[in-house]
Amino acid sequence: MTGSLSGVASVIGIGQSDWVGDHQRVRAGERPHDSYGYGAQAFLSALTDSGIARDEIDGLIVGPTTAYERVGELLGLNVRWGGQADAMTAVMEACMAIHAGLASVVALVYGNDQRSAQVNYGGPDAQGGGAFLAYVYHAPWGFTSQGALYAMMARRYMHERGLTEAELGEVAVAQRLAASRNPRALMRKPIAIEDYLASPFICEPLHLFDYCLINDGGVALIIAEAGKARRVGRAPVAIKGVGRYDLNRGATSLEPRLLDYYLPAQQAVAAQVFEMASLGPKDMDALQIYDSFSLHIPLALEGYGYCPIGGAGRFMRETGISLAKGLPVNTSGGHLSESYMQGWNHQIEAVRQVRGEAGDHQVEGCRHVHYSSDVAGKAISIIYGA
Amino acid sequence: MANSQPVVTLYDTPMWESLSRERMQLQSCNHCGTLRYPPGPICSACTSLDYRWTDLSGGGEILSWVRFHRAYFDDHPPPYNAIAVRVDEGPIVVSSLIGPEPEGEWIGRRVRLAYRRHLDRTQHAFMLSEQP
Repeated sequence: MTGSLSGVASVIGIGQSDWVGDHQRVRAGERPHDSYGYGAQAFLSALTDSGIARDEIDGLIVGPTTAYERVGELLGLNVRWGGQADAMTAVMEACMAIHAGLASVVALVYGNDQRSAQVNYGGPDAQGGGAFLAYVYHAPWGFTSQGALYAMMARRYMHERGLTEAELGEVAVAQRLAASRNPRALMRKPIAIEDYLASPFICEPLHLFDYCLINDGGVALIIAEAGKARRVGRAPVAIKGVGRYDLNRGATSLEPRLLDYYLPAQQAVAAQVFEMASLGPKDMDALQIYDSFSLHIPLALEGYGYCPIGGAGRFMRETGISLAKGLPVNTSGGHLSESYMQGWNHQIEAVRQVRGEAGDHQVEGCRHVHYSSDVAGKAISIIYGA
Repeated sequence: MANSQPVVTLYDTPMWESLSRERMQLQSCNHCGTLRYPPGPICSACTSLDYRWTDLSGGGEILSWVRFHRAYFDDHPPPYNAIAVRVDEGPIVVSSLIGPEPEGEWIGRRVRLAYRRHLDRTQHAFMLSEQP
């Protein structure tokens, strides 16, 4: 397809810091690294995984938590092209830069010391208000934290679509099962629906187990032009399709959340990404869904056509979304149970699954993985494949 | 922790002044009549820049609600509620339900605008309307 980003680039290296070890140290009161240190460790691990030399990198994208120039300085990278972006946008932009001939090997580097630096996502100094007015505008009424935004959305969604509390609990239970098989995951003790229902509310109707973890860590990827990836890559994983649609109208007054549950954005992205990849929902062997909160999962299942509108509760309960049953979602444990790396851990998990290197949480015969996020109504999808 | 603070841009100031007079006003587009919330420099429905400040009628309906069980602000000890109200003029406003809470379902219940002194400010709140 002319102008398509399908197959333009492949992931040739993935890396991460020691989430589990560093989390134990942070909980013991230490500050093992800062955001730059975590990013540096992840970068080194991705570079080793790729097998290429550092001087072959000619593009750099850093996560939103670190300064672009400083990361480049620390890693000794002079590049032809670069910038700062969140995980999903970074993957998309790397493909765009490669397609445009502006770079041929792009390093994506993310580090975040949010736990040890005591970053707050709610309250008087809630993070993110500069980018998303809804995160801070309703503070006078005590309405704060991204969890509350999803709780408000969840209440109405459950009312309109009939999703039950126990059905929503399937998300936390399924992802904890995945994490129990993943040595890189922070929370590995399996839970049952009864544990979910008995867990305390944070912002009702959402329970503790509906919320992501907060931990330190880093993730990195090396993305190369497809031809080069085939020549140098040990196990290149192709980016088969990308798509994006942003709902901005009415965002601060929560209209796209409360009236549409981001459905129009996800449907627009589904049409784009599946067409670009020449694949459909039935071709996907696993899903990785950005899960700051459990509610993201039923929304994505409906938005991308994995089940009928209003059918997510039944799909999760009867078909299943776990490694044990049905369509596996967030096969590493995701943000709820593996690590809160703001979408970055989902990318490297997708690559591991397609490579067949996921160990005890491997989806057998995994060929295609669909990544989706709908953060604040900005829907993005990436399809990874062999 | 600390107390909650409003975000007050150039366009929010008149709204907060109207709240202090217990007569909540929002900008109404002179071209298409759409109300702006939060207040802002342009009508996002029709892109007109012209507006006038108009009183809300005070009626609305609960679209959704939550209850906070953890403390985020000194001035909002848990548990406390927050509601999303579709006011009759169109905008969705996040506020507090004060007075008696509904028995059973909250979503769809009619509410009326009220005013509450909170710290050094007067802010909007809503109360359940009488059932017909």
